[in-house]
Amino acid sequence: MAKSKKEIIFRVVTILTVVAILICAGYIMAHRMGLNPDYDFGAGAYYYADIPQFERFTPTEAYKSSIPYWVHVVLFLAWGWLMYRLWCWIDKSGK
Amino acid sequence: MKSFSDFWKKEDWQAVWLGGIVILIACIAVLTKAFDFSALKFSTWGFGESDTATLAALGKQFAAGAFWVKTLVTVAVTGVLFTLGVKLQGGSVKEYVPAFLGLFALAFIVRLVSAEFTLNRYLEWAFWALIIGLLISNTVGVPKWLKPAIKTEFYIKTGLVIMGFSVLFSNIAKFGLYGLGIAWIVTPVVIIFMWWLGTKVFKMDNKPLVITLAAATSVCGTSAAIATGAASNCKKTDLTMAVSISIIFTVLMMVFEPMIVKATGMSPIMGGSLIGGTVDSTGAVAVAGSTLGGEAEKAAVLVKMIQNILIGFIAFFVAVFFATRVDKTGEKKVGASEIWTRFPKFIIGFFVASLIASFIIQPLAGADQVSAINKVLDQYKNWAFVLAFTSIGLDTNFKEIAKQMQGGKVLWLYLIGQIFNIALTFFAVWFLLSGAIFPIPTLN
Repeated sequence: MAKSKKEIIFRVVTILTVVAILICAGYIMAHRMGLNPDYDFGAGAYYYADIPQFERFTPTEAYKSSIPYWVHVVLFLAWGWLMYRLWCWIDKSGK
Repeated sequence: MKSFSDFWKKEDWQAVWLGGIVILIACIAVLTKAFDFSALKFSTWGFGESDTATLAALGKQFAAGAFWVKTLVTVAVTGVLFTLGVKLQGGSVKEYVPAFLGLFALAFIVRLVSAEFTLNRYLEWAFWALIIGLLISNTVGVPKWLKPAIKTEFYIKTGLVIMGFSVLFSNIAKFGLYGLGIAWIVTPVVIIFMWWLGTKVFKMDNKPLVITLAAATSVCGTSAAIATGAASNCKKTDLTMAVSISIIFTVLMMVFEPMIVKATGMSPIMGGSLIGGTVDSTGAVAVAGSTLGGEAEKAAVLVKMIQNILIGFIAFFVAVFFATRVDKTGEKKVGASEIWTRFPKFIIGFFVASLIASFIIQPLAGADQVSAINKVLDQYKNWAFVLAFTSIGLDTNFKEIAKQMQGGKVLWLYLIGQIFNIALTFFAVWFLLSGAIFPIPTLN
């Protein structure tokens, strides 16, 4: 089946975007842009535990909240539950 | 549970036990200081441009006896545990052991390559594991004897249980309601938006891919993609796609986002929080934040720390959602026992590990000890994930990956989702930290 003009344009734009992104990423890496010479890591440290001596980045007293810990937990759980219900509702609608 | 023997015969439960054993030994090793349980990690090496990252540094590491002892410990621990799992699953030990040693040798090469200075800074192991695996499978082909070791899900699930120990609940309050507002209000909204965009607008049938990509975009890249992908039972090519897109865009965002923040004249605390909420990998967040100064760096890392906690919760809700809504057949409501049957049990292990670290080990032994334990566990987690990603590469062909692009929809889903993520996070940052509505917090 022949592809519509719209589909061809979409495909071409997508391919050009992918190529541009890859060239850009390659240029950044080749020129070592965005790195901090004092740090022995970069974007390759995917997770916080991958960062050497991570403790120095989050001192325990970096911020002192006046609100009790349990309030944070309750809000955390309540918002999570609410969003789960919203997700279910959106998934159900339009079926 | 259909049978009590599922507890030790099924891959999901085995991941819980094996991950638990590694955590237990690491805790004993660190807390008693009786022995060194740390796994192998390569020093960063390079081609002589930096003082520390040189080929000589690599040579020095290879010449040290400790390096080979750690290699032996790593291969022994992972080999014995996974072989035990395979044996209990009814597999052939005779076939698995040589295959595992072959796979470990490939994983060793992957980690060696990804320790090169530039590759280490930007792409690291996930990318190179996929590339090396794909190169082998699409050129010379995977030898028959190596195939018994390709057990992607088993390695991923075990790695995730180990990772659970590093998810500390105390971090929820590290930046008060400001951090919670930026990290937790925005994240699920972005996930739901991307779900709606992917399934309703783009009409993508591959729902596990949509949710894996959404989690990678809104939570924290590779780690979130691995957890959510396993929770939604996504295909290996889905995970490949989500992780590759996330890694490449992280490189771009790490460089361009601080530039944009500077150009707009945003305050350091706002700019840092925006970076923390939107740049995928934690390492990139710290580096990008540091270019805006100390306060921005702290804000960026604090927001990202909260997002790191979300991995388990998002994976849990995704698992429940897929068990009750996506994987069900017919209109009949799924009962509790059916949900339990379908529910990926390794998530229980992930949560239990997280709860033990947060509410038992941390209060009793202190944050420093938990940090020391996690330093040991992180390498085992990485080895498990490298084995998994190398397996994915070995088990995938380029045609399958091209098909996964679904005519470009995957790319646009990520791009539009990420733009929405940045816009919404910017709004939350402005609302909470601009001083227009709430007082601006001070970071020490």
